[in-house]
Amino acid sequence: MNILIFIKQVADTEARIIIKGDHKSLEIENKYNMNFFDEFAVEEAMRIKEKNKDVQITVCTIGSQKAVEALRTAIAMGADRAFLLDGSKAATNDPLAISRILSAFAKKEGFDMILCGRQAIDDESANVGAMAAEFLGIPHVSAILKMEVVDGNAVKVENEIEGGRGIFEVKLPALFTTQKGLNEPRVPLITGVMKAMKASIPVVDPATLDIPQEAVAAEASKVTILSYESPQERPPVKIIEGETPEEKVKNLVKALKEDAKVL
Amino acid sequence: MAKDIFVFVELKEGAVRKVSLELLSKGKEIAGHFSSSLYAVLIGHNVKGIAATVQPYSDKVIVIDNEGLAEYRWDTYASVLEGILRKYNPYAVLGGSTVTGKDLFPRLAARFGSAIVSDAVGIDFHDSGIKIKKPLFGGKVISWITCSEDSAIFITFRPNSFGIEKGSLNGEVIEEQFEAAKDPKMNLAGTEKHVSEKVDLQEADFIICGGRGMKGPEHFQVLEEIAGIMGGRVGASRAVVDSKWREYEDQVGKSGKTVSPKLYIGCGISGALHHTMGMDTSKVIVAINKDPNAPIFHYADYGIVDDAFAVLPVLREALKKTREEI
Ligand SMILES: Cc1cc2nc3c(=O)[nH]c(=O)nc-3n(C[C@H](O)[C@H](O)[C@H](O)COP(=O)(O)OP(=O)(O)OC[C@H]3O[C@@H](n4cnc5c(N)ncnc54)[C@H](O)[C@@H]3O)c2cc1C
Ligand SMILES: Nc1ncnc2c1ncn2[C@@H]1O[C@H](COP(=O)(O)O)[C@@H](O)[C@H]1O
Repeated sequence: MNILIFIKQVADTEARIIIKGDHKSLEIENKYNMNFFDEFAVEEAMRIKEKNKDVQITVCTIGSQKAVEALRTAIAMGADRAFLLDGSKAATNDPLAISRILSAFAKKEGFDMILCGRQAIDDESANVGAMAAEFLGIPHVSAILKMEVVDGNAVKVENEIEGGRGIFEVKLPALFTTQKGLNEPRVPLITGVMKAMKASIPVVDPATLDIPQEAVAAEASKVTILSYESPQERPPVKIIEGETPEEKVKNLVKALKEDAKVL
Repeated sequence: MAKDIFVFVELKEGAVRKVSLELLSKGKEIAGHFSSSLYAVLIGHNVKGIAATVQPYSDKVIVIDNEGLAEYRWDTYASVLEGILRKYNPYAVLGGSTVTGKDLFPRLAARFGSAIVSDAVGIDFHDSGIKIKKPLFGGKVISWITCSEDSAIFITFRPNSFGIEKGSLNGEVIEEQFEAAKDPKMNLAGTEKHVSEKVDLQEADFIICGGRGMKGPEHFQVLEEIAGIMGGRVGASRAVVDSKWREYEDQVGKSGKTVSPKLYIGCGISGALHHTMGMDTSKVIVAINKDPNAPIFHYADYGIVDDAFAVLPVLREALKKTREEI
């Protein structure tokens, strides 16, 4: 079975982000990781590989040369192969372009199953998975919490639905987005890290893929970021005075009623 | 071409979700600006009776009532919506950034080759069109986005982004028929729904969150009581969920749910960035922590520095009293 995983390199949640003076660009501190939700995808693929014969795990990302680091992390966890899709000319802010490129690459490489994260923690869009599945004409299940390979060509998954869980039997090929709760991602062993350091990672130019190039070029982006701004600062906290818990609660309720007007 | 606005109406146990009324309220303002029409799109099974709930908020209500639409699935819902959107050609389609909205909207946007912006929190006018406000990097940066208008723009909004205006319209009901096409490769083997009377965490106006400082699952009882009094929900930090004191669906934060209630109270929560990213758009934040240096106080509007176990029972009684006064 060929498992293909889409991963994204994202700014660490702790990274400092500065909005440049023109409000049109950002300066991001050099702290990046593999997207939190993508780790569950890599881990799940590894578990399938450990339980079944002839499983090959391929990871790919669209990004700059730097994104190779995230691919190496995936190899260190156990992925067999990795590809960097050069994002320098693509409309990387546009989920439409990203999912078009990823699906074209998937079509070219071939796959039985695609795994990707529920959402990227930088743009928090949760778009790419379902969109890539649509371009590939395959079913998807979002935010899976449990997966079982029934036989070589079908899986049973449980996912988060409104107010509970859904249970789906899906014929492969299909795409699944992964969610916290699916598994506990492993920490790579030192041998894995060594292997990842040495792995050669081919760079693919999206121009060589079978997609209408004019649809994925930076100029073609269907979404344009006009400006960035800082979130509104909250005024400093008002610490509620009082000698006893009773007094404090009394003063809090008063403040919530009279100042904040939320009670 | 008229810039008609469509709102995908989400139902929960046969009732219209709050987020849909919020979007209809905002949608009316947008349609008003463009002198166009606001359509509510209501799809499901046995939903004709529900149209009356959204009629006061819409110029037109499109109803598709079909047995195949009883349970939400992206394949059937997308096939029906595709039919409607091709027929009516709206300017923008609005939905909630909910479990369903996040599953359905990208699938449709790809089908139409359309611009999509998800998890937005605001909208404004720009040139002859709109611009959309969306937080990035867990709320550290706010962006304003414009979209190409050559096909319908798909936007999902976080619940509680807009207020609900009083509806004074009387939208005309239009019944449509479109086939609900199932993807033959996907079989819904079952669902497990915990039937709950409680409001949805993301839609709750009031959330009281417990952290590791609550010491154990049994102490969440008082939080449940307070949430009950306020008609809200209990949330939890990841430390609490990882300790299995609460279910994952209660988790607020980066790897949990993003919430923006009118009032958030955090008890025994340190206020780690990963947690505050999920709640810092709350309108009013109260923190109860015995450590005056806890980072949560940087995010809070009001703080009580004290032992949560001493404060909470008193708070419960005080809140009960405010409710009785109403
Ligand atoms: C990738 C990643 C994703 C994450 N995602 C999330 C997420 O989605 N949500 C989330 O919440 N966390 C998340 N975390 C974890 C987060 O970083 C913190 O570890 C977590 O939020 C801490 O939980 P806490 O505040 O309950 O516990 P602690 O940090 O242990 O804080 C307990 C607090 O309780 C106070 N306290 C103790 N006793 C009392 C008392 N009797 N009365 C009053 N106060 C008391 C203490 O002073 C302290 O401030 C994530 C972490 C990572 C690395
Ligand atoms: N540039 C990218 N390269 C590869 N995979 C991506 C990229 N962007 C998003 N993805 C995948 O799509 C998922 C959802 O991303 P998003 O729709 O941006 O929230 C991520 O968790 C990744 O698995």
